[in-house]
Order: sequence, then structure tokens, then C-alpha cells
Amino acid sequence: MARFDPYENNGGTCVAIAGADYCVVAADTRLSAGYNILSRDSSKIAHLADKCVLASSGFQGDVKALQRNLAAKELVYEHNHNKKMSCPAMAQLLSNTLYYKRFFPYYAFNVLGGLDSHGKGCVFTYDAVGSYERTGYSAQGTGAALMMPVLDNQLKSPSPLLLPARDAVTPLSESDAVDLVKDVFASATERDIYTGDKLEIVVINSSGSHRECIELRKD
Amino acid sequence: MSIFEYNGSAVVAMVGKNCFAIASDRRLGVQLQTVATDFQRVFKIHDKLYIGLSGLATDAQTLYQRLVFRHKLYQLREERDMKPQTFASLVSALLYERRFGPYFCQPVIAGLGEDNEPFICTMDCIGAKELAKDFVVSGTASESLYGACESMYKPNMEPEELFETISQALLSSVDRDCLSGWGGYVMVVTPTEVQERVLKARMD
Repeated sequence: MARFDPYENNGGTCVAIAGADYCVVAADTRLSAGYNILSRDSSKIAHLADKCVLASSGFQGDVKALQRNLAAKELVYEHNHNKKMSCPAMAQLLSNTLYYKRFFPYYAFNVLGGLDSHGKGCVFTYDAVGSYERTGYSAQGTGAALMMPVLDNQLKSPSPLLLPARDAVTPLSESDAVDLVKDVFASATERDIYTGDKLEIVVINSSGSHRECIELRKD
Repeated sequence: MSIFEYNGSAVVAMVGKNCFAIASDRRLGVQLQTVATDFQRVFKIHDKLYIGLSGLATDAQTLYQRLVFRHKLYQLREERDMKPQTFASLVSALLYERRFGPYFCQPVIAGLGEDNEPFICTMDCIGAKELAKDFVVSGTASESLYGACESMYKPNMEPEELFETISQALLSSVDRDCLSGWGGYVMVVTPTEVQERVLKARMD
């Protein structure tokens, strides 16, 4: 008997790295369904506020719905408080938004990057139902398992259980962090069929944000 | 859960300049419970030929015993050691014999052949060979290992650099895999010597 199946994994990988005064958020632009490529130029990154960028992979329908929902709530916040939402505030909002659908979840794996109120880089990483953690770097999506050991190796974040709490931001310079992101994507693209085509990188720092695109393998 | 993931494992081999390295983790577990932290998955066939067996530990040991047996018979009859390519075919044939009730192992074979040409290869549990020029991985940490090796490997490394690279790749990978880790074991084989090292690692 035919059954309603509301979920599909459209693949893709998202990475974010936080530094002392910057944050790099990156994702590939491939959109897949099974063994098919639906699009080679489909962005996974949403600019939610001045200093707040969300990259999500998973089910594209849910990702789009979630990102629009957050953008709408951010706009209401702006009107109510006469300022843009901060990144930690957006992080809590995203968690609540995901948990609100605890028993029919958004099939979306999110990495939120930006600057906190002190201008320091921050990365928040999520599961599908809103459990989240502030970290120094993170990878989510189909290529995450390939990238995470390399990021660990290069960035070694201190355990969140340490007392007193250590700073999780990475020691790398902004350009080194961007180069590392390009490297891990180039490597993951070699082995993950759902990652490739193009890499979209957004860098946020005190002077605003800027976006760049580089080519990845297309096979 | 898959029977290949019952004990947990990570095996990797890399080719360098006239040398190769083969490494594995040291954990033996029963699903999530760790039973031993000095388990051996890399075995010597002869001075220039090693095999790493990921997957179900009992099958790894049985398969190793059968391979040693077959290699000794070969040595008696031929009065020489087996070439890595020949040995890979032997492993493949032995595995395919059990086509419909396989050994739950994914072997990694690494050796120095004629003129000390390095040879590495892996295969699935029923003997389909996969030859590679750079590196091969297997076990529960294979996905992490693919990512790490793809980023860290470069061709024509000298033995010291090869040791550093394979160790970093192994340790980074097993730290992201719950079922493998608890120390590492690395062999670097050159035409003249074999370096055997035990790595200390995170015990969690």
C-alpha cells in the first residue's frame, strides 16, 4: 500500500568556524535526491541578521520553511525592539523553533554562525529537535563525518566540561580559517557524492559580512 | 546493528616512497562495552607483508590462522615468500569460498613486492579486491578515516613523515568514532627495516 512519506534527505554539508573577531560559515550548493542531482546552484545559507548566518542541510522543504520562519520572526523582533537580533538570541530562537515541532520535526541539520554582543565569533550547532551547543567550530550534513576529524586535528577545541571554562574560539587568522574550510570541502567532495559543485563561504567580521563562491568537483 | 560493528575497529594503510605503513586501533568491544585495549588487528605474514582485519574479531583471528597456514604451505612448496599480489588473491579466494556465509571481516593488505614496490589493497567480506595507489581504510571509523586521509595524504612520503601522517589520520578519526580507539598500533615497513610503534590515545 502506498504510504505518505514526508521526508527526504537532499544532502549537502555545512561548516562554521569561529575566531576571535570573525566567523566563517560555509556550505556547498549541491541539491540531490537519491542518486540524482536536482540543482548545482542551490544555496543552503540564510542571512538572518547583520551578524547572524544560518547554514542548514537535510530536507530542502523543511530547510526553506525553517529559514523563512526564522527570518519572519527576526523581522518582528526588529520592529518590536528597534534593533537586529543578536546571534546568541537567534540561537535560542532556533532551538525553540525546532523543539516546537518535537513530534513532527523539521528534518534540518543546522549550523548557526555569527558574532556575539562582544564582537567575538560564535558557532552554534544543532540536532533536528533543537538540542544545541556553542562551539568553536562545527560541521553538519552528509560530509560531516569526513570533515570533523580534520577540523579536530587542525583546531582542537577544549572540552566543554573543563573548569574554569576555556574559550572555544580558534586561534587561526581569518584567511587561514577560510583556507581550511576550502581544504576540508575539497577533500569531502572527493568521497561524498552529496557534496560538490560549488562552495559558498560567508565571512562575518566587525566591518560587516562578505560572500565568496569557489568551484568544487562536479562529479 | 551490523555484525561488522559488533567489536568496533579501524584499520588504515598508506603508501610512501619505497615504503608503506599500516595502522589499526587497539579496542576490542562488545557493542558499546570495552573489553580489551590491547587487541591486535594487524598481523605479519612475512617480513614485508602485513594484513589488517577489521570487522568481527573472532572471524579476524580465524581468518588469520587460515592465512598463516596457507602461507606456510606455500613457503614449503615454493621455498620463497608470497608476493603481496599473490597473497591478495589468496585472501580473496578464501573469502569467496564462503560466498553465502561470509567471514565478517574487511581485510587491508599491505606489502613490499618485487623491487620493493609498495602494494596496498582492501576487499569486502566476500573477496572483491580494491587496489589503491594512495591509501585504503576499513572498519567502523572508515568514513572518518576517508576524510582524514583525503586531507592529510600526499604521495612519495619518506618513512618518518609517513608515520606521522598515518598516526595523525588514525588518532583524529578514532576520536570521532565511539566503537574504535583506545590506543593505536602503527607499522612502517621499508626495504631494510620495520618500525613498530604503539600510540597512546584518548581512552574514552
